[in-house]
Amino acid sequence: MVATLPPERSRTRGRDFVGGARAMVPWMLGIGPYGLVIGVSAAHAHIPTAVGWFTGPAIFSGSAQVATIELLDAGAAPLIVIATALAINARLVIYSGAMATHWQDTPRWWRALAAYLLVDPTFAVGVDRYEGPGDRAAAHRHYLGGALALWVTWLVAIAVGATVGARLPAGLHLEFVIPLFLVGEVVTRLTSPAMLRAAFTAAAVAVVGYSAPLHLGPVAAIALGIAVGLLSKEAKR
Amino acid sequence: MSAWLVVAVVGVGTYLFRVSMVGLVGGHGSSARLERASRFVVPSAFAALAAGAITAAAAGPSGSVAPVGAVTVAALAVHRSGSARAAIVVGMPTLWILNALLPG
Repeated sequence: MVATLPPERSRTRGRDFVGGARAMVPWMLGIGPYGLVIGVSAAHAHIPTAVGWFTGPAIFSGSAQVATIELLDAGAAPLIVIATALAINARLVIYSGAMATHWQDTPRWWRALAAYLLVDPTFAVGVDRYEGPGDRAAAHRHYLGGALALWVTWLVAIAVGATVGARLPAGLHLEFVIPLFLVGEVVTRLTSPAMLRAAFTAAAVAVVGYSAPLHLGPVAAIALGIAVGLLSKEAKR
Repeated sequence: MSAWLVVAVVGVGTYLFRVSMVGLVGGHGSSARLERASRFVVPSAFAALAAGAITAAAAGPSGSVAPVGAVTVAALAVHRSGSARAAIVVGMPTLWILNALLPG
């Protein structure tokens, strides 16, 4: 005998899932062209095109994928490629720490899957929902809906770029949707002097460290932003 | 080491980053310090990523006026409306207009 969910409960679960995918749309608009570019660069690099596409499911992080493909194309030593890509992705440890508090009531298999899908857009959409009203289980479905929509879009975009060599509508600058989205999310969170100091410090360090070796600028910026926020009097109370 | 293996190693390392804290905290409860720090992760991470992306755009062939102008207008729109979506709704047209008026 097969257990089935009542129709209303099943519809609610579906709505949570679709809601996550809908919340991901601004990110998908921005990263779609980025994925195409990675696909095209993979097709032109001196590595098998399939390896370029494989960076998608294996790494699932645009900046690290670009660095990996470009360094392999340039003939860099494997250790340099690995160290550079992992330095870029070091920020994921911070995201992991932030999501851990939200995911502690989930089964191990769920955390293993959710963690695999953890990257800037899924972190943004996920945290936004976890910090909002509603029960935790609905927020988990929201996260997975958005994350899986992004994952499929990302892999399809890379594949299209690699096989068709699609041309970006460069004049639209759709990639700029991402920083604008981030600015919107930051501004709405500046509700205290501590948040303001944290965000300002992170932004300033990111600009100053833009050309830092091994792409360590963002990691340093995030760490210093958090440190400045924690050191403020209101955070200690 | 083949290109396939390099990508696989980067993928495994990246996955270990992703599960690092989830694995540490899961089932043991989170520390108060981690919860306090997590409040500052989003504004710090988003501000850092946005600043990096804006710096990259400003260093591009179109110059810095359009991206910096679009972000400034977008931030003001969000501040006035209280809606994060206003950043994209107002920022993208501003970027297009500034790029049209100020060709690189």
